[in-house]
Amino acid sequence: MMPSLQHLLYLAAFLFCTGLAVVMVKRNTIMMLLGIELMLNASNLNLVAFNRLYPASLDGQMFALFVIIVAVCEAAVGLAIVLRVYQHYQTSVPDEISELKG
Amino acid sequence: MTALSFHTDPTLLLCIFAALLLPLLSFGASVLTPRQYSWLVSFNAPLLLLVSAICAAVALTSRWNDDPALFQITWFTVGDQPLSANILLTNTSLLMLVVVSVISFLVHLYSTGYMAGDNDLKKYFAMLGFFTFSMQGIVLADNLLILFVFWELVGFSSYMLIGHWTEKLAAGQASKKAFILNRIGDAGFLVGLMIVWANTGTLGITELLSSGSTYQWQTAASLCIFCGVIGKSAQFPLFSWLPDAMEGPTPVSALIHAATMVAAGVYLLVRIHPLFTPMALTVVAVTGMATAIIGSLAALFQYDIKRILAYSTMSQLGLMVMAIGIGIVNAALLHLFTHAFFKACLFLSAGSVIHALHRAQLRAHHHFDVQDIRNLGGLRQNLPVTFLTFLLGGASLAGIPFFSGFLSKEAILAAVWSTDSSVLSWSLLVAMVSVSFITVLYTFRMIWYIFMGEARKPLPVAPVEPPVIMRMPVVLLALCSLWLVVSWNPFDFIGWLLPEAYYTHVAWVTAFSVVWIAAALGVSYFVFRTARFDSNAILENAFYVDAAGSKVLGKIVQISATTASHIDRKWIDGLIHGSAYAHITIAHITGWVDRTLVDGFVNGVAYLSKGIGAFTRSFQAGKIQVYIFWAILAIIIFLIWTLK
Amino acid sequence: MNTLTFIFYFFMLTAAASATGILLSRNVFKAALMLLVCLLSIAALYVLSFAEFVAITQILVYAGGVLVVIIFGIMLTSKLSGKPLQVGHTNIFAAVLSGILLFALLANFITDDVFAVPQHAVETQGALQTIGTNFMTAYSLPFEIAGILLLAALIGAAAITSFMKSKKV
Repeated sequence: MMPSLQHLLYLAAFLFCTGLAVVMVKRNTIMMLLGIELMLNASNLNLVAFNRLYPASLDGQMFALFVIIVAVCEAAVGLAIVLRVYQHYQTSVPDEISELKG
Repeated sequence: MTALSFHTDPTLLLCIFAALLLPLLSFGASVLTPRQYSWLVSFNAPLLLLVSAICAAVALTSRWNDDPALFQITWFTVGDQPLSANILLTNTSLLMLVVVSVISFLVHLYSTGYMAGDNDLKKYFAMLGFFTFSMQGIVLADNLLILFVFWELVGFSSYMLIGHWTEKLAAGQASKKAFILNRIGDAGFLVGLMIVWANTGTLGITELLSSGSTYQWQTAASLCIFCGVIGKSAQFPLFSWLPDAMEGPTPVSALIHAATMVAAGVYLLVRIHPLFTPMALTVVAVTGMATAIIGSLAALFQYDIKRILAYSTMSQLGLMVMAIGIGIVNAALLHLFTHAFFKACLFLSAGSVIHALHRAQLRAHHHFDVQDIRNLGGLRQNLPVTFLTFLLGGASLAGIPFFSGFLSKEAILAAVWSTDSSVLSWSLLVAMVSVSFITVLYTFRMIWYIFMGEARKPLPVAPVEPPVIMRMPVVLLALCSLWLVVSWNPFDFIGWLLPEAYYTHVAWVTAFSVVWIAAALGVSYFVFRTARFDSNAILENAFYVDAAGSKVLGKIVQISATTASHIDRKWIDGLIHGSAYAHITIAHITGWVDRTLVDGFVNGVAYLSKGIGAFTRSFQAGKIQVYIFWAILAIIIFLIWTLK
Repeated sequence: MNTLTFIFYFFMLTAAASATGILLSRNVFKAALMLLVCLLSIAALYVLSFAEFVAITQILVYAGGVLVVIIFGIMLTSKLSGKPLQVGHTNIFAAVLSGILLFALLANFITDDVFAVPQHAVETQGALQTIGTNFMTAYSLPFEIAGILLLAALIGAAAITSFMKSKKV
């Protein structure tokens, strides 16, 4: 017997919520990026899991591949921006970059 | 409602698409022009806009007074829900198309003179073209979602153009402020769209309005959408960005912050007003009234030419919104059109004054703030053409007979007069009459200070008129503020722009307003005959609405938190300590219990109140992670609410 | 419970545990390593869910590419400030609240019987070939756009960081 689809979905939901919490909690922009990666992986896990419901089509896996591609771009550009912000503000604590403050 | 397609009417649709897309082409061409050839853009951008304006005019004449038509395009399909990108062609939308493209063309032409020698002409003309494209999109779109997209795009191009002079700190701050205040309103707009979608499953305006019945959710939806209008049309309380936006180049203020973008809010209200319930309309009317009064009072005490005009724009927009609030859409629309012309004329004339004086200052090596009317005076001999255009535009703004502003204000006044008498309509009437009185006052004050009397700070080199390329658009706009634009009869607003009206032209209302305006002119002559520079801090800062918004909230929370903790520590702690010392003779144990448990509780209360204070203050702290938290919380609540 | 099921649950637990580790850890470098563990166990779950190609891509791209970039980022930023790699926590209450709320909400949907389907073992011969064919036929436009996106990200990242040398702040 294989584990049911539900178990994978629970895991994905858990990973997503953990990633979200990481994004909100950490006082470091790189850690926030880690959290975003975790959330992307959780959604990928969902795509692959749902693909098993329709084994004939591989659309889920295709989407997962595209998500990975976009995630790579996001990580590259995101880290570049983090480094640039770091250079400019001499900090990677997001609270201290409060340009949005009215 | 007739449906059109490319097969039935190819020329018309080509014209429409040319009017819509040529400004976008101008944007692309300006971006792609190499930097060393950037003088090229000041030729091709006005040329493209001229073609666009001609196409719009052709489309208008070919469909004038035809049935409203819908050109149907399906953008994409989600599941079985098609999202349409229909284009609506009615008298209103086509007229608005022509107004936008003509004013935009004139402003482009004017800018070639005004901005000559600017370091970043490319960016300037690119954003001007992009703005015109987005504005045409708002005018034509029949789908609220598409309209919202263009709505955001005009906000973005306004942001770019306000901050065009990146080396000016004030310009950067003003552009940020305009962008953020508009986002606050647009958040409401977006929620309104969600409510509409959840309840009807469609965002097409024509489709929405075709179902006649009134539902409970419409109040919430229309008030949410009205939030977007408050932001974009600078209504109370989100108006403070408009005076600040005057930091941008003057032609931009004429195009975006007087004639078109700020009028987009009114246009949206005109398009969707059947969606508004009576309660929502009352809110709209009261907001408009408050804005009109605040704007006109504030304009009376400003010293910067452009800020006077900005507050005046705000008060005129308030009048339009008020008119929509009591259901007289046609009159509001008429005022929108006439206002677009005379206010653009006023702004461009003010730009000519600023331009002429700047050049004179450059040659004389003598510097003072040329936008401050306390430094100006006696310019009628040096700048006769600008004086004349300023006078024509000002007369139209003040509502003097034989000018378009008189007729459109007359239409609103007559309509307010003929509505059912109630407390609301009487107070609106009083507000309207007093606002038009104050309008005369500040217009007179502005023109008198700038052009009459003697120069208060004389320059060794006399200022000369700006070049022909700048004078021509201003003269054209000034001619468009004559009464002929509205109707043949200078005392009857029922003309070719307002063919049928359910309220009639009342002769004695016209007579009353002629007398009233004459009285206002007399009063303003006696008040401002000699230059008076009284200042009134409250009105100069528009009742401090802006400062109050940012300060009061944070301050109140902070003060209450510190007072609470102070009282707790000083009084309650003192009491506890006193009782502990009294009991210390009885037993050290009691004292120990007191100190750790009771004090702990009291300190805990103090810390808790401090913590709550810090927590509530943190909503406004600009911390990205807190924003994420609120966004997520809102999404969760929304999911629970919709999916249950 | 057979071996396959055991392996399945083992990797699920590893993924969940390392994710929790990222949340609790105050050391950026350790968190990055735990993310590596998490990504690898997710790759194992992909293999067990018959998505071998996705699993390989996951290992190559994530474990091989993204993680290396992140670790470089950590080393570069810590070198700039000279501070240790310790990270503070904020908004703990807000994060826990929204995390638990969101998980409860999702779990509420997942408990639906629709999802209680067992994972079938199916014939997956030729899955790789199908993916390849898909890329060149039905998904050719997204595939091209993905290529352009990657190029744009590459140039963009290089352009953003290249300012660092020219403009010393």
